[in-house]
Amino acid sequence: MRERPPVRRASGAIGRLVRAQPLGAAGAVVVLVLILVALFAPRLAPHGPKETGFATYVAPSREFPMGTDQVGRDVLSRVIWGARLSLYVGLASVLFGITLGALWGVVTAYVGGAADTGSQRVVDCLMALPPIILALSLMAALGQSVNNVIVALVILLTPTAARTLRSVALGVVATPFIEAAEAAGASRTRVIARHLIPNCLASYIVLVTTNISYSIVVEASLSFIGAGAPADEPSWGGMLAQGIQALETAPWMVFFPGLAISLAVFGLNLLGDSIRDLTDPRLRGGLG
Amino acid sequence: MPMRCSRLARMTARAALVALALVPPVVPAAAQEKPRPGGILTWFDYGDPGRLDVHAESPLVVQQATAGIYSGLLQYDPDDPSKIIGDLAEKWTASPDGKTYTIHLRKNVKCHDGQPFSSADVKASFDRLLNPEFKSPKCGAALKPMVASVEAVDPNTVEFKLKFAAAPFVPSVASAWCRVAAKHILAKYGDLNAAEAQVGTGPFKFKKYERGSVIEWEKNPSYFIPGLPYLDGVKQFILVGGPTQLAAAKASKVMLWDAWPPMRKTQADELGRARTDVDIYQAPINTVFFVYLNAKKPPFDNPDMRRAVNLVIDRQDLVAKALEGAGVPCAILDPKLVGDFALPLDEVNKAPGCRQPKDADVAEAKKLVEKHYPGGLDVEVAVRQVGNYVDRGQLVISQLRKIGIRGTMKTHESAAGYAAFGKGDFTIIASQDRAMDVNEPSGVFHIAYTTDSGSNYGQYSDPKVDELTEKALKETNRDKRKQAYWELQRYLLAKGDHASIAVGWVEGWFFKDKKLRNYKPGLTTYDNNTFMKVWIAP
Repeated sequence: MRERPPVRRASGAIGRLVRAQPLGAAGAVVVLVLILVALFAPRLAPHGPKETGFATYVAPSREFPMGTDQVGRDVLSRVIWGARLSLYVGLASVLFGITLGALWGVVTAYVGGAADTGSQRVVDCLMALPPIILALSLMAALGQSVNNVIVALVILLTPTAARTLRSVALGVVATPFIEAAEAAGASRTRVIARHLIPNCLASYIVLVTTNISYSIVVEASLSFIGAGAPADEPSWGGMLAQGIQALETAPWMVFFPGLAISLAVFGLNLLGDSIRDLTDPRLRGGLG
Repeated sequence: MPMRCSRLARMTARAALVALALVPPVVPAAAQEKPRPGGILTWFDYGDPGRLDVHAESPLVVQQATAGIYSGLLQYDPDDPSKIIGDLAEKWTASPDGKTYTIHLRKNVKCHDGQPFSSADVKASFDRLLNPEFKSPKCGAALKPMVASVEAVDPNTVEFKLKFAAAPFVPSVASAWCRVAAKHILAKYGDLNAAEAQVGTGPFKFKKYERGSVIEWEKNPSYFIPGLPYLDGVKQFILVGGPTQLAAAKASKVMLWDAWPPMRKTQADELGRARTDVDIYQAPINTVFFVYLNAKKPPFDNPDMRRAVNLVIDRQDLVAKALEGAGVPCAILDPKLVGDFALPLDEVNKAPGCRQPKDADVAEAKKLVEKHYPGGLDVEVAVRQVGNYVDRGQLVISQLRKIGIRGTMKTHESAAGYAAFGKGDFTIIASQDRAMDVNEPSGVFHIAYTTDSGSNYGQYSDPKVDELTEKALKETNRDKRKQAYWELQRYLLAKGDHASIAVGWVEGWFFKDKKLRNYKPGLTTYDNNTFMKVWIAP
């Protein structure tokens, strides 16, 4: 019997995925578009995101499909560049924050004892603080910059990831194959690296996907209240804040960045939910 | 007896005519109405003052927060802001050589804590303001070049000895920043920063200061003018940011918007659609929009770099966009406010940095930057997060980018920004409005251009500017004084490397509730904020 070509196999899998998780597939398309827009922002944006050479408050037109803002910048160009900033902040903060928290949770779950108890109290303290207040305080202490927004988000995300991954790791630690590996003389590092982490990876991936949208919203919120990215950076949250000042005169200044935030968060959440469904054996349907 | 100050009065009256022409006429019926006591006037401060020492601070919010608490020796007449009248002074006389002013004080005036007021309080206040070691960016900065000493002749008389006969002396003393504090309060607290130290002789007593929220005054029942004030109190909400201010105005939470920042046209239109019970008017606010460079630190300790920025800043574009066209770009003095003391705008608009189109100036600026920084340079561009400074900052950054100066914006909370700028902790301030203390041509030079200016944040010093400013200040012949100010303006425009870059004189839109009676906008944004004669119609 002839083997099917790989392309057809891949397209078949995608077809099955779309049928099983149509919303997830839609989310994946939105995320893909977001990534492409972010990657190709310099080519896609008709003007520089900080270029102020145009008339102010121009309504959406053929020349400026999303209009211009209060200092004469093209809103479309800023929305496109905003995708890059949002994705950069979202991905960087989540990758660092969730990875750091995941390692923390897995290691302390395996080590146990006083180290685990002590570290969990630290996590309790960090999680007790309201996220936006904590982020605001951190931004006030660190100063306004895009990288400092990422640092603040990393500090926000790490304890959540540590708590979640610890609970997953505790379940894995209790399984016989860990005991077997230890009995076979595997070092602690080897057990963590070769047995624990791979078995926690599914939860880690779910956390990453679901928290990118959270990071984008927090960044937008911080920028909206003037504590996020510097005001001249094309941040969707910052654009919303500036648009509020002319809500009646130029509603497009609020509408388009608002739409961009909604679409990005919607797409990422749909994708995250689907990945969770696919990786959770209890929720897994007939796919595969 | 009220006294008019000849040349200055004529000049200010002219300016008043211009300013008042822009203000809708007061309803004649209002003048015939009988003042009605009672009620609370509500308006707002654009930021939290933090410190309240009216002698030591320069933000408008400090003056607004304390305006009704203190009296001055003289004041701009609340009924006719072009006229100077006595406040604590009953009358005043000048010696024939114009170098000694004798001021006779009102009797039986009491401070808010019941202590009697006397010439000792005046001497203590002005000694403090004139102390060379004491940084007083407003009243002190204006008076120090002119006043040699202040003496208490008797409990009801003080004498000011001037270094030379100076035309701006009387209007400077009448400035809303030259307030008289109680000697015993200064001795007790050391300064006037605390809410408890707000003990004056003014029409209102300081009632409450909730940081970031509200400042309240209550009627002073022992005010030295019987029957005044009419209001029971004044409530100033601390409203940070244009959207918050506009939202409060639209929701009828404030009865008056006659302070910085003015509304922009779009905001005024929005308010006009929301409220029909207000008079909206356009007016100048005697305020200059400056860009500051730090002349003590690289890269702007280099005159070429300062010159480059002076050349590239597109004042017309900034006024058109940031002020929505409401302003006078480039002018060092605004002819609308000081008449022919201002260099004609035709001449101003031909100066390097001001002339249009900008191509030649931008090319020259680029060459100057490339000479010292071939790959361009990165700088931090600071603004306080008030008014629309952030928007202005973005426009300035965009203009600087044309010559290879890549700016990153740093925003400061209002009071923190003032503190940082005062310490010289900045490279560029993209936007800082400085309001005149008096409607007088000397004002702006003592605020931003001379070495000892109160708002010379860039710490720039040019002996020639100091010399020309002093020459103009000492000149008593009007025509010669005008020529002296023209020479000074021409010098500043031609040299083009000053660290205080005047973008333009700010105008804007304001409103007052139609129920407010007897409120007359002052010739500067600081005057007539005591509300001593304002009342609210039913």
